[in-house]
Amino acid sequence: MGATRSPNEPPSADQAAFLERAIEQYGKATYNFAYRLTGNESDARDLTQDAFIRVYRAWKSFQPGTSFLSWIYRIVTNLYRDELRRRKGRFIERIPEDNVPQEFGGQRPLAVNPIDDYVEKQLGEPLSKALAQLSPEQRQVVILADIEEYSYQEIAEIMGCSIGTVRSRLHRARALLRRLVERARQQL
Amino acid sequence: MTQHLPLETLIDYIHGELTPEADAAVHVHLTACPPCREEYAAEVQLGEALRASARAQEVEFPSMIAARTWERIRNARPGPLASLAIFLRPAIAVPLVLAIGFGAYFATPLGHAAKHDRTINASYYLEQHAGQQASDPLAERGPVPVMESSLVDTAPPAGGPNDANDAIH
Repeated sequence: MGATRSPNEPPSADQAAFLERAIEQYGKATYNFAYRLTGNESDARDLTQDAFIRVYRAWKSFQPGTSFLSWIYRIVTNLYRDELRRRKGRFIERIPEDNVPQEFGGQRPLAVNPIDDYVEKQLGEPLSKALAQLSPEQRQVVILADIEEYSYQEIAEIMGCSIGTVRSRLHRARALLRRLVERARQQL
Repeated sequence: MTQHLPLETLIDYIHGELTPEADAAVHVHLTACPPCREEYAAEVQLGEALRASARAQEVEFPSMIAARTWERIRNARPGPLASLAIFLRPAIAVPLVLAIGFGAYFATPLGHAAKHDRTINASYYLEQHAGQQASDPLAERGPVPVMESSLVDTAPPAGGPNDANDAIH
């Protein structure tokens, strides 16, 4: 990032104004995105702060005319991934990805009214819990695809991976999500 | 209609990620296949539930984040390179200032003027001394020191002791 500046360099008026405007317009969306990723306020606050500091330092690398939200989501995603790597070994959050090949076609188990109560928010809590049980990568892709409604291409750019990876993660995440929600419903 | 749609295809269809041909084929299939339609509806509901849940759980942006972000920016410690630059600053600055000072001294008229003044003063005294020599050859060595003068004054008169001895004798 060639446009980065020393942190103790006095801020230019443009740089400060850029950050101020970014926080004002996108602070809430960024914080909510971080909150959904991390699942707790404390980590979401730290992640949001770090993201805006990164925005401040790299403000010149933002290309006007492109989506600022995609840019900052990418920053948040990268920071979150770095943080998870740092915590690795002392922080076990993820569950293994579901790598079992799914059999569909003629033999697939058809859902029998599996999540028909979702829209009435009756499964708000089980859904949140299920979301929290996904791996960070799966959760990210579900948030970006289903909540933020980005295209696979945009998600690939945000997460820094291929479209094929986005597609396979989303398929597995949604299948797992449905199973977890179903289990949670049965426990209610 | 023996083959049902794979779940992956339904998910891609919901997200609008199929090619136009595949999209049209899925659309046609769903109109004629109740089990796939049911599965499709479940997937759509999952997406709607996720969005509804996200909306319900949406939180306000804590103002402290902005304040702390600015605070961290202001108090940010310099990075390793910046720290090294700060550490080396005196080692770089002192020789630099000295070099500039010497350069200024030798390169500017001010330095020459000072040196020239000293030369003039010395010449002046030498010329004065030469003038004195020319006018009074006896004063070649300058005025007689006081000590030498006193010695001369206290010296016995010529033939003093010898004269006294002569008188005794």
